[in-house]
This record gives sequence, structure tokens and C-alpha cells, in this order.
Amino acid sequence: MDYLVYLKKDMRVKILLPIFVIFFLVIFLIFYKGLNHTNIYTPKIISNENIPLFKTIEFQSDNEITSKEVFSGNDYYLLNIWASWCIPCRDEHNFLMKLKKNEKIEIIGLNYKDKEKNAKKFLNELGDPYKKILSDSDGTISIEWGAYGVPESFLIHKNKVIKKIIGPLNDSSFKEIERLVK
Amino acid sequence: MYGRKVKLRFFFILLILITLSLSVFLILKSLEENVIYFQSPSEIKVLAEVKKNKIRVGGMVKNNSISVQSEELKFVITDFKNEIMVSYSGVVPNLFAEGKGVVAEGYLKDKNFFLATKILAKHDENYMPPEVKTAIEGK
Amino acid sequence: MASLIGSYSLFFGLGCSLLVVFFSLKDLKNLNNLDNKILSLTFLQFLLVVLSFFGLIISFVNSDFSNLTVFNHSHTTKPLFYKISGTWGNHEGSLLLWLLVLTLFIFLFLIRSKKEPKKYRILTILFQQIIIIGFFIFLIKTSNPFDYIYPVPKEGLGLNPILQDPALAFHPPILYLGYVGTSIIFSSVLAASVSNYITKEWAKHIKQWVIISWIFLSLGILLGSIWAYYELGWGGFWFWDPVENISLMPWLALTTLLHCILVLEKKSILTSWVIILSIATFTLSMSGTFLVRSGILNSVHTFANDPERGLFILIFLFTLIFLSLFVFFFFHKTDKKNTTSFFLLSKETSILVNNWFMMYFLAVVLIGTIYPIFLDVISSQKISVGPPFYHKLIIPFLIPFLLMMAIGPKLNWIKSELQNKFYLASFFVISLFLSFMIIRMLEISILINTVLFASAFYLFFITLRDFFIKGFKNLAQNIAHFGFSLLILSILFNNFLSTEIITNLKVGETYQSNKLTINFEKIEKKKMQNFEAIIGKFNIKNESDYIEILKPELRIYNQPNIVTSEADIKTNLFSDKFMTMNLVQNQEYFNIRYQKKPFMIWIWFSVLIISFGGLFSLLKKRYES
Repeated sequence: MDYLVYLKKDMRVKILLPIFVIFFLVIFLIFYKGLNHTNIYTPKIISNENIPLFKTIEFQSDNEITSKEVFSGNDYYLLNIWASWCIPCRDEHNFLMKLKKNEKIEIIGLNYKDKEKNAKKFLNELGDPYKKILSDSDGTISIEWGAYGVPESFLIHKNKVIKKIIGPLNDSSFKEIERLVK
Repeated sequence: MYGRKVKLRFFFILLILITLSLSVFLILKSLEENVIYFQSPSEIKVLAEVKKNKIRVGGMVKNNSISVQSEELKFVITDFKNEIMVSYSGVVPNLFAEGKGVVAEGYLKDKNFFLATKILAKHDENYMPPEVKTAIEGK
Repeated sequence: MASLIGSYSLFFGLGCSLLVVFFSLKDLKNLNNLDNKILSLTFLQFLLVVLSFFGLIISFVNSDFSNLTVFNHSHTTKPLFYKISGTWGNHEGSLLLWLLVLTLFIFLFLIRSKKEPKKYRILTILFQQIIIIGFFIFLIKTSNPFDYIYPVPKEGLGLNPILQDPALAFHPPILYLGYVGTSIIFSSVLAASVSNYITKEWAKHIKQWVIISWIFLSLGILLGSIWAYYELGWGGFWFWDPVENISLMPWLALTTLLHCILVLEKKSILTSWVIILSIATFTLSMSGTFLVRSGILNSVHTFANDPERGLFILIFLFTLIFLSLFVFFFFHKTDKKNTTSFFLLSKETSILVNNWFMMYFLAVVLIGTIYPIFLDVISSQKISVGPPFYHKLIIPFLIPFLLMMAIGPKLNWIKSELQNKFYLASFFVISLFLSFMIIRMLEISILINTVLFASAFYLFFITLRDFFIKGFKNLAQNIAHFGFSLLILSILFNNFLSTEIITNLKVGETYQSNKLTINFEKIEKKKMQNFEAIIGKFNIKNESDYIEILKPELRIYNQPNIVTSEADIKTNLFSDKFMTMNLVQNQEYFNIRYQKKPFMIWIWFSVLIISFGGLFSLLKKRYES
């Protein structure tokens, strides 16, 4: 009888104790990790955020290119999201061609959900304002940038978006870009 | 043979195991059905399909986006990358304001339109739900 | 000056702890009476913490902004009442309050346990001092309420207006009394395990502590719920929000423990179970503090918090858990005699069955509360668990639970038979019939609702009958169970009969539905001491042309600059009429919510009855001895 009691006690310590200890250790670890997800809200100026990083294919050369390579060397960039099927893009194209003459700024095209053939036809017809054209065939890069649709343009200075133009460029936004790029 | 005591103990342990597994099963099953996922506007934009279950959307209330009619309140939630239109008829908490964090619970109509059934209140203006925080900062 | 005294008192208080531990260890081998020095030192420690607490209160009252805590949480224009309640309305102050209650309780424990074995008493002091020292270090190291700020600011930052509320002034202290009460149970059960004293006598002695903590915990939860009802403006009393759940979990464990202690008092069984429950209750209370204070929980009630503090509580909490595991596995001896003389029909079996249900409820709440944290850490997926989860899992099991609550007390201890219990069956038929009629009337046709109503009514009638037939016998238990049936009934009626109208109105506009019209007559502005009030006047006309005037309020607090809305509630015996008004930013429209909530007051009232059941059992014991 005494032996039985001893056995029972032994079993408790041998089996249950490790189970409990492991269980609580796991909980401890999870809570500990959970602590690092803090809730303190520190306001920051979001519009000055660094531009998103991405990797895509350059339109003309079919080579892979990263965002770092694209946005380096110059002071100001204008990222213009466009597509050949987009009617308003035709309207703003004149402004882009005008802006091409400004040497302080490089215009980068992001070709949104488009066919290469159509895009080339579009540029042959209206002229090519772009220094580089990047392909965004599935639209994921535009989402990363938070674009609403085409056309849309981002003015970039030192890796930061300083101005976002939703919809086609017009007289006033064109002038503002000229003013900002000094 | 086994004594009454042993039998009883065995029976007792069996009962415990059965009820335990039953309740674990019930809880897990119910969890699966009733969990409300949190999504940011950007996550919604890349969804493969619009599901019918209840979700929470969080982000900032876009500036100058609140408009009120007698039956409905409309505003835009943004995570500074993407936005979603929200329509809501119900009580808004006091800390609900343009340029502040917000969490809305409800159903997606499509990728650009959200029908909210509840807007969650907060107690502390400096507190931001962690979900919103990660949504805005990006992961 | 007051801050300085308070600050020094804290250090001396910690010193007292060390001395108490020293003398206790020295005294452990001594077989004679307890060393008087321990008692005096414990008392001195309590006085020092009181002094320190008063130091903080005085700093708050005098708006002494050289104190960082006061600067962060107070303002000169705040009414005196909220200056005082602001003392424990913040992290540092509330921890000081914890400490105050901890030291008070150990002192009371020492006075009230003179008849108990000496070894057990000393061990309890030692375990309790471990907790106290932990809190002292936590307070002094990470959240000292007496930190200085220089240069001294002219004005404080103010208290979050949502906390400037009478219910919330009393909610934390009362809840803490409950939480901290469980710490005594924890220390005591560990001490009793080590000194092999988990017996009927111990059960009799610890029962009063269990009941006291249970009463305070119940009342604390009640106050929190009332506050949420009228301050949050959602018109509900329980949202299954993580922070609410966290106060519910220790309550469930404690209620279970209370019933087990009743069994242990009669019969030396379930000792391991009692130990586990006592440990669980305290652990759950502590985790509650951890989860709320660290801000790890994703809850609408969470306030901005410092994760560094969370780490300390986390480590402390798990130290205590492992300590108790160690004690449980290496000291507690399972009793060899009369362990298994269970009979199917007996009071203890029915209590055990209901214990099992309680554990199930606890598991549901626990998993629902912490599952999102786990998922976030493991897969960084953000989720929340909504009320349907809890309702679905808890409601069906309430039915057998309620029936057991009705029948269990009818059984005898040890062994019982159900004879001459014809009335038990007949009452059930009556309840079933009654609820069937009600369900028909309300036009809700779900079987489970009928049965749920029936079982609640059953408990209601059985307990009501016992008031007349049994009189004073088991009165405390009967009161509590009666209160519980009333609670379930009120919640059910409240749920099924509530109506609500939400609309946006401009001043002067009228909302019309087929049942009533709401006319937004005007708004008035009033300047108060620390806020400006915008009071709306609404005329609500119902079908019988009776006009009721409700005046919900918006308060624009000056410091910090926050808008809160105060619901206007017209309460009578049968229903609450509840109205809130919110201003939508930059709009002329006001966001209006009007609700009719039947039997609201009965929900509060039945929780009071339940707590009174506990109080009565304490009083009775006093009276008998």
C-alpha cells in the first residue's frame, strides 16, 4: 500500500510536473514576445516617409531593376503611373513632355497593367517623356505606393515623396512641380 | 480483480478526459467561426476574393472625408497607402475624428467599399490599437 | 514635502518586509508563540504604506506638480473629488493602492488567525512577504509615484475625462480589495500545503477570506459594468472585451473555490483541487494586472502603457507560478484516507459537477481572451474574438448549470436520495410552461431559449420557495442562488426586449418612426469648473402621446482637451430609457442613440443580491460565534 502511494506521488512529479512547467514556460515566452508589440502611439509625419522599395523589370531592356537603382543620382524624380488604355493619361502627356525639358527632374514611368505592344504604340504616337519605364503588370507596385488608379504622379526628393498628384496633371499641378523643383 | 476504488478512479479520469476533449473541440470550432480578422486598406486591396464574413478595418480617418446624412455617416479610412470608403449608421465614439485612428467592424461590399456595423471606441487619445499601428507603419 | 515623506515611507516599508522575513525565518524553528516583533513590524509596515499613500493624496490635493505622477494626471481646475480619486486612477497610484491593501490584509490576517498553528501562520507571512517585496521593488524601480520633475511645471496634464466619474473612482479600490484578497488565499494555501494543514479546520478559517474577496470582486465588476453602461454610451453592460474578461476570470475561479471550500469544510476531500483553484485564482488576478498594465491586450479599454513595466510583472508572475508548482508537487501529500467515497446523489457531487461547468466557462473566457495574443505572436495575424463566440459556447451550458444550482442544494452531504421530491418536478413543469408562454409572446421561436428561460425560472422558483419553507437554513446560499437566477432572467429579458433607434439629427429636426417620434428641440451651453457642457434637449413622444424629455450631454474638457458624452438615463423599475448624443466633427449633425432597455436596474440589483448572499454568510458566522 505504501509502495502504491509512493508510486502515485512519483508519477505525479515525473509526468505532471514537466507538463505544467513546459506549459507555463510556453505561455511565458508568448507573453514575453507579446510585450514587444507595444501600443504606444508616437505620431510621426507620414508624408515624409521613405519611398517603398521594390524590384521590377525595366520596360525597354527587359532587365531586372531595383527601386534603389532607379532613384539614385538625381535630386528630383517624378514617378508617373500610366497605361496606354487610360484616356486621361493622354491629356497629361503634354505636361510630361514639357516637364522633360526641365533638366533638374527625371521622369520615371510606371506602366500599369498594360501590354508592351500597346504601350510602345502609345509612346511612338505621343512622344516618350520618360527616362526609364518600369513595368507593373499585376498592379502590386502601385498598391505598394498607395495609388488610387491611373494616372497618378509622385514627386520624389531625396527618397521621400513630397507631393502626390492624383489624376492627370494639369496647369496648376504642373506649375507647382516647377516651383518645387528648384 | 480491481477494487471499487480503482474502478471509480478510472471512471473519474475517463470522464475528465471526455469532457476535456469535448470542450476543447467546441471551443476550437467556435473560435474558427467567430474570429474577426483585422485588415488594413492595403491588405484589402490585394485580397483574392471579397469574403462575406465580418472583419475589422483600421487606419486613420482621412482629412475632410467625413460626411453625414440623416441616416448614414460616410468617411474614408486610410493607411496612407490605400483607402477604403466606409458607410456607417450608428453611434460614433467621441474620439472619432479626422486624422485620428479608427477601427471599424463590419462587412466588405467590394474592395473599395466597407459597410460598418460598429465603430470601436477608445478611452485614451494617445492609445492606438496595435492593429492600426502596424497597419499604418507597415510590417 | 508630502512626496518626500511618501517616498521615504516606501523605502522604510521595504525595510520592514526584510525584517519581517528575517524574524520569521528565525522564528520558524521556535515552537512557542509567534514572535511579537513580527506582528508589530507588520503593523508598522502597514502604517508606512498608509503614510506614503496619504503623501500621494496630499500631493494630488495640493496640486504639487513637482511630483511627476501628479503632473501627469492632475490639473488645478479639477474638482477636489477627482483630485483625490485621481490618486489611484493612474498606474503608479493604483500600484501603491495594491500595496496598501496587501499590507492591510496580511496584518488583518495575523490578527484573525491567532488560533491557527504557528508554523502555518509564519509560512503564510513569508509567502505573503514575497509578494509584498515584489510589489515594493516593482513600485520603487519601475513606477515610483514620487518621482521628481524639475523645473516644476505650473500646470498639470490632467486626468483623462472618461475616468472622471464617481463609479470609476470606486471601481479600482474595490476590485483591488478582491484581487488582493486572493493573494492571502494564495499565501495561505501554500503555507498550509507546506505545513500539511489542508484540513477541515483550515477550510473553516480560510472561508471568510474567500468570501470577503469574492464580495469585493463581485462588487468591483459590477461597478465597472455600470460605468461602461453609462459612460461608453453603447447601452450595454458587458461587451466581452478582454479587459472585462480579465476581471471575470478570477471571479469564476474564486466562485468555484468558494464552493469547494464548503465541501472541504464538511469532508476532507478535494484538497488538491482546492490548492489548484487557490493558486489559479491569484494567478489570474495577477495576470489581469499584467495584461492590463503592460498594454499587451488589444482592447478598447486599454490605456497607453509602458511595456517595460509589463516585463517586471511578467517575470514576477511566473516566479510565483513556479514557486507554487514547486510547493504543490513536492510538499502537498495526497490524503490516503476517505478520498473516494463519492456517491452520485450528494451535495458534493453536484458541487463538483457545477465546478466542472465553471471550469469550462473559465476555459472559454480564457481562450477567447488570450488566443488573439497567441496568434499575433505566432503568426502576426491580427484578430479579435467577438461576443458570438462567448454566447455560443456559454449559453447552452448555462441550462444544466442552472438546474444543478436548483437541485444541488436540496441534496444532503455525503449521500442522499431523491424521495418526496415531487415538487421539484412539478416546479419544473410550471417553469417550462411559463417560459413557453413568454417565448410565444415575444415571438422568438428557438428551442434553446425556451429551455434557458425555463431553467432560470426553475432556479428562481425553487429558491423563492426556500425563503418561505426553510427560513434561516442555508439562507446565505439561497440568497446568492436566487440573485443569480434573477440575474440570468433580467439579462434574458433585457436582451430580447431592448429596442434602439440610431439616427443623425440637426437641431430642430424630428425623427419619426411608427412607434415614436424624437424631436431635437435645442441645445444649451453651460460652463462648468473643468469642462464646458453642451446639453441637448429631446422630446420623445411614444404611441400614447406621452412625452418624455431626455437631456444627453457632451462635455468638452479643457485639460486634456477631450470630448466625452454623458448619456441621459431615465430609470424606473421596469426599464431604462437611455440616450446619448455625439457631435460628428465639423458637421451640423448630431449622432443620436435612443434605447429602451427593460429590466436594466434588475441586472445591477441582482448582482447586489448575489454579493449580499456572501455578506450574509459572513454576518451569520459572526453572529454564531
